[in-house]
Amino acid sequence: MKKLSLFTICLIILVGSWVFLRFVVGGIISVPIPGSVIAMYMGLIVIAILVHISVEDSLFREFRRPILETLVDDKRRLHRRVLVVLIPLLLLGYTYLIIAQRANPPGSPRDAHPSPPLELTYKDEVIGTMQDVVNPFRHYEKDDPEAFKAHVENGKRVYHQNCFYCHGDHLDGQGHFAPYLQPLPANFQDPGIIPNFQESFFFWRIAKGGPGLPAAGGPWDSAMPVWEDTLTKDEIWDVILFLSDYTGYQPRTFGEAH
Amino acid sequence: MRIRTVALLIILFGMLVVLSLTYAQNAPEASEKGKQVYENSCAHCHGVEGRGDGSAAENLLPKPRDFTRGLYKIRSTETGQLPTDQDLFDIITEGMPGSSMPPWETALSANDRWEVTAYIKTFYDGFKEAETPPKQISLSGKVANSEQSVETGKALYSELGCVECHGNIGRGDGTSAPDLTDEWGDQSWPANLTQGWNFRGGSDTEDIFKRFVGGLAGSAMPAFEGDSFPGFGLTAEESSRMIELDNKDEMTEAEEEESAQLYEKYDAAVDIALNLAEGTELSAEEKQIYDDAMKVVYEKSWHLANYVKSLMPEKRPEPAIGNNVLRSQYVQGELPEMDDAAWGTLEASYFPLVGQVVIEPRQFNPTVDAVNVKSYYSDTEVAFLFIWDDRTHTTDETDEETGKILEDALAVQFPVKVPQGPTAPKPYFLWGGRLPVYLWHWKASAPEQVTELTAKGISNAEVQEAQGELKAQGTYTEGQYKLWVKRALKTDDKKDLQLDPGVFVPIAFSAWDGANGDVDTKRVMTSWYTFVLEPVPSSKRFVYPPLIALLSVGFLFGLRAFVQRRNSEEV
Ligand code: HEC
Ligand code: HEC
Ligand code: HEC
Repeated sequence: MKKLSLFTICLIILVGSWVFLRFVVGGIISVPIPGSVIAMYMGLIVIAILVHISVEDSLFREFRRPILETLVDDKRRLHRRVLVVLIPLLLLGYTYLIIAQRANPPGSPRDAHPSPPLELTYKDEVIGTMQDVVNPFRHYEKDDPEAFKAHVENGKRVYHQNCFYCHGDHLDGQGHFAPYLQPLPANFQDPGIIPNFQESFFFWRIAKGGPGLPAAGGPWDSAMPVWEDTLTKDEIWDVILFLSDYTGYQPRTFGEAH
Repeated sequence: MRIRTVALLIILFGMLVVLSLTYAQNAPEASEKGKQVYENSCAHCHGVEGRGDGSAAENLLPKPRDFTRGLYKIRSTETGQLPTDQDLFDIITEGMPGSSMPPWETALSANDRWEVTAYIKTFYDGFKEAETPPKQISLSGKVANSEQSVETGKALYSELGCVECHGNIGRGDGTSAPDLTDEWGDQSWPANLTQGWNFRGGSDTEDIFKRFVGGLAGSAMPAFEGDSFPGFGLTAEESSRMIELDNKDEMTEAEEEESAQLYEKYDAAVDIALNLAEGTELSAEEKQIYDDAMKVVYEKSWHLANYVKSLMPEKRPEPAIGNNVLRSQYVQGELPEMDDAAWGTLEASYFPLVGQVVIEPRQFNPTVDAVNVKSYYSDTEVAFLFIWDDRTHTTDETDEETGKILEDALAVQFPVKVPQGPTAPKPYFLWGGRLPVYLWHWKASAPEQVTELTAKGISNAEVQEAQGELKAQGTYTEGQYKLWVKRALKTDDKKDLQLDPGVFVPIAFSAWDGANGDVDTKRVMTSWYTFVLEPVPSSKRFVYPPLIALLSVGFLFGLRAFVQRRNSEEV
């Protein structure tokens, strides 16, 4: 077999790396990688190749030999003719696509869990500081399992009269109204939600809903209702018990590591 | 040796298939496990005792099924029969689109679904008492979809009276649509046959076929038993001949005779069907007549299924979420009027509507599915065409409870000022809040008029003082509203949104179906989407690319000349 020229090897490395990043890493192994990141990696690879071929004069000569041959050698007349048509055509198409591309609206970045206020309120009544307030019925879990069960049951009722349209029967954010809301309703089966926050945080989110979010949370987009208008304090605490009971996730208690 | 192994393998495989089939046919005996699954996942809708009266039921329509009467809509079995276990298992797995009955495929294991299938059967004694397995609808005579078949189905669609409920072209807007109730006395809207994604039992041709051959037990939709077909007992030619003779102003004596004979044959077949329904034993001859007649009925039903299937798009259109923006296209000169053919060539953006359940009073059971929007703009004006399906044309009905006027309506919402940049505050998506929104409000009672509002909250909307900047025209035909609206890009009113090409503007919609009790906050809505007057593509696209191509040719030749010169110098 004929030995591959250095130029061909470099070309193969370049194309191969791109395919690997774009389709293998960004498809089979993981989610697609953004174009800018791929461009960065490709830039590094090009630099590496340039460094490699410029270490020794002979390497550099070997590298550019096929290029020079294609430019002038009579043996390569056919290659030359094809390339002189192909290269301008590709450039033509590429620049056309770039210029004619439709502009898309900028995506709006949203912090799904922005910092809560320092004080927890229900309507205008101050309940306490966000750090210290605990669920007043949580202690039944140890002290009085029967009473605890009744509160969870009541939370279940509240949930199914008010929340499942969006957050789903299975608490997975897939209620029958959910698919066409932006942002999507929270998925409480996601291990990143309930275990990471105190119950006071959820009380705040449920009582004040989307409009109660700080600007970073995009309060104008969220369809999460303001539940202090329709639910009592106890109902909100109960529904929080139900969320954690059904999913099996314990909310964080103060002092635990994040 | 080898042949024996193969044979053994085949037998083993066959046994496996048989095993899995029998497994698929029958649920296990009702067990404690099934009860547990039921109480955990189903009881809050279907009720602990299966009466469909769980805590969530109050707000739902259609209501969660009452299992105590053994009435099931989605069956593979004939009229009047119970569903098979497989039917129940399938519906639990897949859920019922267009209702709140969720799919349980991912939330429950197959085993749990079988257990709960067995458990819900215990609510109705008929399952235990049934001696023979339910009779399944045969799918063997399936008629392939063809233009001919669709045409035949279309004729049957009106002959059988589907029109009265489902409307002339299937949008669920038939004359009796508003007055239908199901077995439990609850409102029951006929399906919009152009929206297959909302069919409870799926929208494949086979599904549709099974629905009207077997009937949707308990619903307002009648089952189409053989003798409800015109010309039952006649061949296709005979039945069209019968209709042809019926339509003649005058018949010759021979024709009268022929007509009478056809009617006799028809009446005889209907009698046989009635006897059979009453449980009378049929003679062999009668059985033959009945079977032949049913063969024709099944064939017709396939035509009908092919026709219904032809009314809907392949799948639900993609909603305009994310980058899929409502783009207004530029035209030079006058914008197209409402009936202009130019609208036909433009693709619509599809905006699914969601029940408004954020603010009291809420709408839990929406009837308007989506609004389709098209738009053109010129140097001075912008025009929109909004299209949405609504089964009823309601212009002024009075709500019995509140005394409010109920009517169909649509509102289009923009911010008053376009937010600058992706993180800039927008007004609240439900008719604004701290930041105001600018609204176009159209009502079916005044189809030529769109009112401009400024709102700072869903119950805090003000009619603008300066009106008359908008031209509008609205129509209602065959269960569908079309609304055409035109406005200048720029107005003198500070409370109006001013439009510029290339600027991305938030847009949202609300719609009201008066017949569904929609009024004020009770409505369907969308969250924010994006609207843009699509800039005319830059003419630079014809200048730069060729220039760059030319330059590259020049560069290549230059390089070659350079290398040649250097080579000759080296030599
Ligand atoms: C109209 C749809 C809708 C309904 C009904 C609804 N929610 Fe939400 N909810 C959302 C959306 C959308 C989000 C995500 C956006 C946000 O965080 O505001 C959300 C977020 C939340 C969060 C925050 C989760 C997190 O990750 O911080 C909680 C807690 C919550 N909902 C609880 C409830 C409870 C409890 C109910 C019923 C009393 C309910 N929701 C009813 C739409 C809804
Ligand atoms: C959120 C409420 C809700 C929950 C939870 C729910 N269902 Fe339903 N279910 C409904 C509604 C509503 C209907 C009736 C839909 C219709 O008639 O169009 C229904 C209908 C049914 C039917 C009748 C199907 C037919 O062919 O007519 C079965 C069977 C059923 N559900 C089983 C279950 C089982 C089993 C569970 C639990 C695993 C469950 N459902 C949970 C709301 C619910
Ligand atoms: C008396 C009124 C009435 C007539 C006549 C009628 N339908 Fe219906 N149809 C309904 C109603 C009501 C529903 C909704 C049933 C439900 O889900 O509760 C429906 C639903 C349907 C569905 C959807 C089934 C599903 O899976 O959700 C199809 C398909 C259908 N009808 C076809 C027909 C055809 C074809 C005819 C004529 C042969 C017909 N209907 C005649 C009232 C009617």
